[in-house]
Amino acid sequence: MCESPWSPCCTAHFLMDSSNEEALDIIVTNVVATFRTRCHLNLRTIALEGTNVIYKPEVGKVLMKLRKPKITASIWSSGKIICTGATSEDEAKLGARRLARCLQKLGFKVRFSAFRVVNVLAVCSMPFAVHLIDFTKNNRPIASYEPELHPAATYRIKTLKATIQVFSTGSVTVTGPNVQNVATAVEQVYPLLFECQKPLCK
Amino acid sequence: MSPRVCRTCGGSNIDVDQARGSAVCTSCGSVLEDNIIVSEVQFVEGSGGVSSAVGQFVSADGPVKAPLLGSGFHTGVGKESRAQTLQSGKRQIQQLGSQLQLNQHCLDTAFNFFKMVVSKHLTRGRKTEHVIAACLYLVCRTEGTPHMLLDLSDLLQVNVYILGKTFLLLARELCINAPAIDPCLYIPRFAHMLEFGVQTHEVSMTALRLVQRMKRDWMHTGRRPSGLCGAALLVAARMHKFRRTVKDVISVVKVCQATLRKRLTEFEDTPTSQLTIDEFMRVDLEQECDPPSFTAAQHKVKMQQLEHELARKLDEVEGEISCYKDEIETELEKSRPKLRGIYAAYAKEIDPEDVDVLSSTSEPKEPAVEDMELPHQLTQDFLCQVIQEEEGRGVLMNDGKRGTVPESKGARTHHQVAPLADILGKLPSTASRELQQTFTISETDGQSASGELDLDGISDQEIDKYILNEKEVQVKTELWIKQNAEYLKEQKEREDRIQKEKEQGTYKEKKKKKKCKKREQIEALTAGEAIEKMLEKKKISTKINYDVLRDLNSRGTGSGGGSSPSRASSDPLDPNSTTRKPLNRHRRRKTREANQGLAVNASIMGKRFRRLISSTPKKKKTASEVENSVTMATEPTTTANDPISDPEAMAPPTVVEEEEEEEDDLDVEEDCVSALQLIEDYGCDAEEEEVF
Repeated sequence: MCESPWSPCCTAHFLMDSSNEEALDIIVTNVVATFRTRCHLNLRTIALEGTNVIYKPEVGKVLMKLRKPKITASIWSSGKIICTGATSEDEAKLGARRLARCLQKLGFKVRFSAFRVVNVLAVCSMPFAVHLIDFTKNNRPIASYEPELHPAATYRIKTLKATIQVFSTGSVTVTGPNVQNVATAVEQVYPLLFECQKPLCK
Repeated sequence: MSPRVCRTCGGSNIDVDQARGSAVCTSCGSVLEDNIIVSEVQFVEGSGGVSSAVGQFVSADGPVKAPLLGSGFHTGVGKESRAQTLQSGKRQIQQLGSQLQLNQHCLDTAFNFFKMVVSKHLTRGRKTEHVIAACLYLVCRTEGTPHMLLDLSDLLQVNVYILGKTFLLLARELCINAPAIDPCLYIPRFAHMLEFGVQTHEVSMTALRLVQRMKRDWMHTGRRPSGLCGAALLVAARMHKFRRTVKDVISVVKVCQATLRKRLTEFEDTPTSQLTIDEFMRVDLEQECDPPSFTAAQHKVKMQQLEHELARKLDEVEGEISCYKDEIETELEKSRPKLRGIYAAYAKEIDPEDVDVLSSTSEPKEPAVEDMELPHQLTQDFLCQVIQEEEGRGVLMNDGKRGTVPESKGARTHHQVAPLADILGKLPSTASRELQQTFTISETDGQSASGELDLDGISDQEIDKYILNEKEVQVKTELWIKQNAEYLKEQKEREDRIQKEKEQGTYKEKKKKKKCKKREQIEALTAGEAIEKMLEKKKISTKINYDVLRDLNSRGTGSGGGSSPSRASSDPLDPNSTTRKPLNRHRRRKTREANQGLAVNASIMGKRFRRLISSTPKKKKTASEVENSVTMATEPTTTANDPISDPEAMAPPTVVEEEEEEEDDLDVEEDCVSALQLIEDYGCDAEEEEVF
């Protein structure tokens, strides 16, 4: 993956339709994944013998943070673990495996199974501002905009199971089940946004 | 309808007299209509000379029941649950709507929305008041009334975002596209609240202009409309020489001071702010601005760029400085006295050892070795030797002593204390390669399926940093116990309590919530059968004409023996059929307990069988249920004693056993009555003789 000067963790370059020669940078900022260790974990042991752990007995989980890759994991005693904070799917897998290895060393019979990426969050910036009210009007009922509740217009694509939030400045955040879906969602929504754009006067 | 043409003479001149209620043809004089129904309101004089209109209020919805004046307590009975829901919903809507001062038309529309919501089962799992508030807000939005979601949340004392979530969901499900909020809608309302007296209208107009200007300057997208209104009203008030402070405005508009100030500063940044009052009223600038957040972002980017440039420039300067620094240092080195004697030897010793180390490990290791790693390896090698001498561990692999430690470590996963060698760690490359070797040899493919951990790319060195050693564990344990003393105490108390209760025998396990079972699909061969099955499963409403149904079903005798109502009816007739023995035994056992009226028995039997047949959860026993059971029993006795298949008989006994405890007080008499007799006895007693 090539890098652009201002986005060090860019993961995708997409050439939009011919009307736009520049490429849009889609930066994946968060990947959430879950996996199972197939064994019961004693949270107290983990809490007492690990560094970088926070034990929350009321909720019944342990938060463990890894430095590299920068990942926060919620560990439950049933053996289910949720990993958040990775910047790519591979990184999430690596971090998960590292975590499992750490637990293995603490003495649990850890097996790494059912690894699944649950959610991917990406950010993208359009080179133009968007008129949210027009955008919502054109795309009812898929799009919804409630300024009292949230400053962005929400656009949900059922087929891709992706949600896109469009801000009036042109920045767009996309959440979806995997990176490919996210990219497709941006491609789908781009022409709609292009219609309701507001050229920036500089 | 008044006739336009006379029947006798064909004349169209017809005189309709409302008072007499007659229509007469003026040409031939024949009376065309007599006693015309007139829709007029009549008045009656009551006691004390008070005249009141004649008539009754009829509710627009719900079952058409004559209002019971005397026996009020029975008004709830006989209504379906759905009607009750709608009724209570309507009441709540009226209550909430009147607080918001909505007119009747809006309230009716809100009630229609509510009906739609209930029919789509969207009320499940949501608080009714949330749903009602969302319906009301939906109406407000479609009608364009100046009500905010904040008002509703104020009244209900509920978080705005929760209400908003419900509202969004309802709007999506009902496919209602509410038009976007326009801040202009709120201006008159807020202006009124700010009490400008006679000049309210003018101030509102000015504020409206301001808001429109703000819209064109892109200040309103993504912002709460109330904030903009507040800023506009503040400026407008000042323009008309009213002294309204920020505090007054925010108390009316419900935003905080910071927001208001921000809006004002943003407006200040637009070119319109430079105009004088008169100019503003007259002129409208063509130019539009960018959204303020965008300009802020641009500003940030610019600052970052500047910083980068500065940093670069600094680098250049630093480069020069470091050059000088190096030169100075080399000079100093030269002038420093050299180590002599043992120190020199010591300094030299390290080098040959390093060379040895290098040569021995040159094969497995990559040639690129950083200087920093060397002392690590040195001590490590040394320590490895020490450890292995102590523990007398055999060499498992011939890759070198280096290889054994991680491999054996990996093989024994239960090892509690990490050996020193592991703590010091290995080079990532060697570790991973060796581990890879071991794991590819020992493991089969399909790692993810077996659940084994693929350690590719994971360095043990790092992992071990995450694990504390014993002393640290002790310290942490103490700290943790001290910190969470309360929680631990609570847990202990809970345990003690449970223990005590267990000893006493009064320990009750928390009952898990019963999941509501899904309704089964009705499979039927004919329409008649389907109706029968539906009747059993569903509560019977008062709107069905049983006579007609009976006639329908009498035609459908051919429906198979699998139809359960026939079973129900044939059971009272055939207690001695062999396939039903186990059931009968149950029943006989219970009959010895008490005696009750026939009608009750019929209802119980019917109810019992209904429960046997369907697996729906036990519902509240209401009169309707009793009716239902009787209707089943009234299934035509003409249905022959169909042979009842064994599996069906088997199923009910087990079901009966389950539900025995629930039905301990139900009694059944052994004498079986024909279905028709049951109907005759039923009459109107069933309503009172409810069984619990």
